[in-house]
Amino acid sequence: MKKSLFTLALAFAFVFSAFANDPAYESAMKKQIQAMKTIQNPEQSQAVVNGFLRIAEVKNTEWLPIYYAAYLQTIAAFRFEVNKDQYFDQAMELINKADKVAPNNSEITALKGFIIMGKLSVDPMSRGQEMSPLAMQTFGKSIALDKENPRATTLMAQMELGMAQFFGSGVEKACGLARVGLELFAKEEAKINEDYLLPTWGKREAEQVLSACK
Amino acid sequence: MKPIFSFLILFLWIQTLGFTQTILSGKVLDEKNQPLPGVNVFLKGTFDGASTDQNGSFRFETTESGTQILVFSMMGFKSQEVVVELSAKIFEVPSLILKEEFNELNTVTISAGAMEASDEKKSVILRPLDIVTTPSAMGDIVGAFQTLPGTSTVGNDGRLFVRGGDASEVGIFIDGLRVGNAYGTTAGNVPTRTRFNPNLFKGTFFSTGGYSAEFGQALSSALALNTKDLAKRSQGDLYIMSVGGGYSHTLANEKRSLTISGNVFDLRPYQALIKQDFDWERAPFGRDVELAAQQKSAKGGLWKVLARTESGGMKLWQPQPGQSTRGMLINLKNTYSYAQTNWRKGYENGWSLFGGISYSQNKDILNLGGLDLERKSQLTHAKWTASYDFSDRLLVKNGVEYFRNDFSEVLTNENLKRTFNENQGYLFSEWDWYFSRKLVLRSGLRAGISSLADEKWLDPRTSLAYKISENGTLSLAAGRFHQLPEERFRVLNPNLKNTESRHLILNYLYQKEGKTFRAEAFHKSYDHLVRFEGMLENPQQVRNEGKGFARGFDVFFRDRESLKNTDYWITYSFVDSKRSYFQYTGQVQPDFAPKHNLSVVVKHFVPNLKSQLGLSWSFNDGLSYTDPNQPGEMNSKTSSFQNLSLSWSYLPRPNLIIHGAITNVTGHQNIFGYQFAQAPNEQGRFESLPLGQGAPRFLFLGIFFTISKDKNANNLNNL
Repeated sequence: MKKSLFTLALAFAFVFSAFANDPAYESAMKKQIQAMKTIQNPEQSQAVVNGFLRIAEVKNTEWLPIYYAAYLQTIAAFRFEVNKDQYFDQAMELINKADKVAPNNSEITALKGFIIMGKLSVDPMSRGQEMSPLAMQTFGKSIALDKENPRATTLMAQMELGMAQFFGSGVEKACGLARVGLELFAKEEAKINEDYLLPTWGKREAEQVLSACK
Repeated sequence: MKPIFSFLILFLWIQTLGFTQTILSGKVLDEKNQPLPGVNVFLKGTFDGASTDQNGSFRFETTESGTQILVFSMMGFKSQEVVVELSAKIFEVPSLILKEEFNELNTVTISAGAMEASDEKKSVILRPLDIVTTPSAMGDIVGAFQTLPGTSTVGNDGRLFVRGGDASEVGIFIDGLRVGNAYGTTAGNVPTRTRFNPNLFKGTFFSTGGYSAEFGQALSSALALNTKDLAKRSQGDLYIMSVGGGYSHTLANEKRSLTISGNVFDLRPYQALIKQDFDWERAPFGRDVELAAQQKSAKGGLWKVLARTESGGMKLWQPQPGQSTRGMLINLKNTYSYAQTNWRKGYENGWSLFGGISYSQNKDILNLGGLDLERKSQLTHAKWTASYDFSDRLLVKNGVEYFRNDFSEVLTNENLKRTFNENQGYLFSEWDWYFSRKLVLRSGLRAGISSLADEKWLDPRTSLAYKISENGTLSLAAGRFHQLPEERFRVLNPNLKNTESRHLILNYLYQKEGKTFRAEAFHKSYDHLVRFEGMLENPQQVRNEGKGFARGFDVFFRDRESLKNTDYWITYSFVDSKRSYFQYTGQVQPDFAPKHNLSVVVKHFVPNLKSQLGLSWSFNDGLSYTDPNQPGEMNSKTSSFQNLSLSWSYLPRPNLIIHGAITNVTGHQNIFGYQFAQAPNEQGRFESLPLGQGAPRFLFLGIFFTISKDKNANNLNNL
């Protein structure tokens, strides 16, 4: 009796933990994703990055928390007056960790390309030659991994737009990509509910590219 | 029933325990006792935690209890863990200091003598792209370096001259492996170029003195070129130039890449169009084939292969002073091959290993006014290094090297042959000690042995750098350097020993947001330099007897920030150098060491024109020479050297570049010295001919077209 009870207790504990941990993870993620939307300065950004990193520390088989940390670090570099190279380098370090957790993930690859684009933007004159083909290649890989990923297509559209503006060539390719991106965002929006944790950013960027097409 | 009941009790008890909360609070400081914001403070294995605020304070609640581990972590800092016993409602964590990790951005770098060209690194002076876009360089690696501090332009030579040293005192390395005969063979006064295409390299490290124990057999300078890693994509590149053309094809995937290219050049059509001052019988021509391959191994190793073979020649009449004929006909044919392979890998445990081997072979067939001469040189270099990071404060690099050098010189008609064979071995060890983020000491030792010279030697090297402000670094470097004499002298006297130099360098470097200021003062002494009787064409009694010195300073300023779309740099180098060498008995200013050297490079990007316009201007106050009609050695000086070059690069499409350049726009009459008759004429004077330029100007026009069948692009079109 005692033995079977022990087994039962163990089984119970196991079930309990399996059930209990996921909601905890999910609610912790939701809390940080909510906080993400209210960021106004680098300090707040750092606090949310830290929140994601705490989750990543515990759930080290999940790529999402570390992905978001890398994403926020990238956005902070673009948005705020910070040492951009340092922020992009840290973002790259984080996304490479995410890549180890989940290799060949389209979202991770797209963000990697976004970070390369950021590095490029710091010193386009001397980094352009080396980094723009690398960014293009990375976005291409991301699209190949998941054709439905609107961020991959949108970032590629941004890159194409930049190239077209630099060389004064046609913006058709960039615009076409941005339109595809917006269609994909519409498809994605249909899936989003309050339990949706996957990345959803990028629609505004697609619209921005499209606004250059008029 | 009873056990289940007790189980429920237990469950409830755990639940109640769970509701007891502890509030943790505390403060985190940096090493200067200043509050450190943004630190992630959390209980290990839980989601509970917080970030420190502007005051370095943190505060969070947890439902955990008992013994827990509190983690303090922040990127760029060393994480710390503290064991806490959570029982009370409030837990006050004692103040904690987090230490910053040493990394490239926050730690001092040794900058004495060193100039790096890279896209990534911090202490960058020149970027790889600058090499192709500096107008006076004409796409030659060394041409671009001639606009940097510590160098002199010797217009009728083309090689790199550093701080009063001759061109042989600069050691050239590719991926750490020595390149034999890195410059094309030339004759007369025709300036030469580096054999290697600048597009092969992702970065360069150029030192004008006091360099690492890793480099030897160079008295003045080390130029280390680092080849590119994996190619990004498959593509074809087509070049059509006013002096030739070529095609290069790259195949690449994520694991490996391969580039094969072929080029031909021939100055004949160009010279037919534009009048030349040299009396050419056959304009310089050549062709080459090059292969570069890279392969990544699964665990982060990288394996590279580079091979190149080329052949070429030229034929020209060299006028002789005091003669009205066309002079002496020089016919030169050259074949050259270089191959190397290397492998490197970094391990998680702090070790990184490198191994490589290179082979250079150069063959010159010369006919000098009827005299047939054949020269052949072979150099093999094998190298193995192991580096280990004990911590971020102590790093060591150890290496072992082997060289084999074979040289032969044949006077074909007379059937006379001279040869030598040489084996050299080296061991080196270099230690970097970071006492703090502001102070670093590098100390190294290099030991060498030569079979031919039958000599063993030891070279201590040391450098020290101190960060005196956020953007300013002061460095000091000193060391001893050995170099065996040039092959042409060793073959005459195999017993020649090492020549020797000692460097002392003080450097100040200031770098801030696109602005770089660099000032360096140096003193270099020379000993056991090559001396002989007679003339360079036919030296007698070659021996190690020369002595000398070079001292001076140079300043460099580069600004990429202040003027929109403009990047410019200004360099001034002062060299006071005297030595007894070659046929000179007393200490004289050598004919390759002008005192005042100035250069200005400006690049301006015009977005509307999709063009980059370039300007470079070089000046020196003239080269010394001996006028036999006057008493003494090196008793005269040529008029100043000036060269204003302009370039225009036009990028109409991402895959098309049109580049035009013109050197010496003003057509300044540059004279590099005078050639005197060997005997005086009837009036008792030695007649002379000026050594001038091949033509007042050189024009270059090139079209570079990239054909890319980008798989990604194809994917895009399928969307």
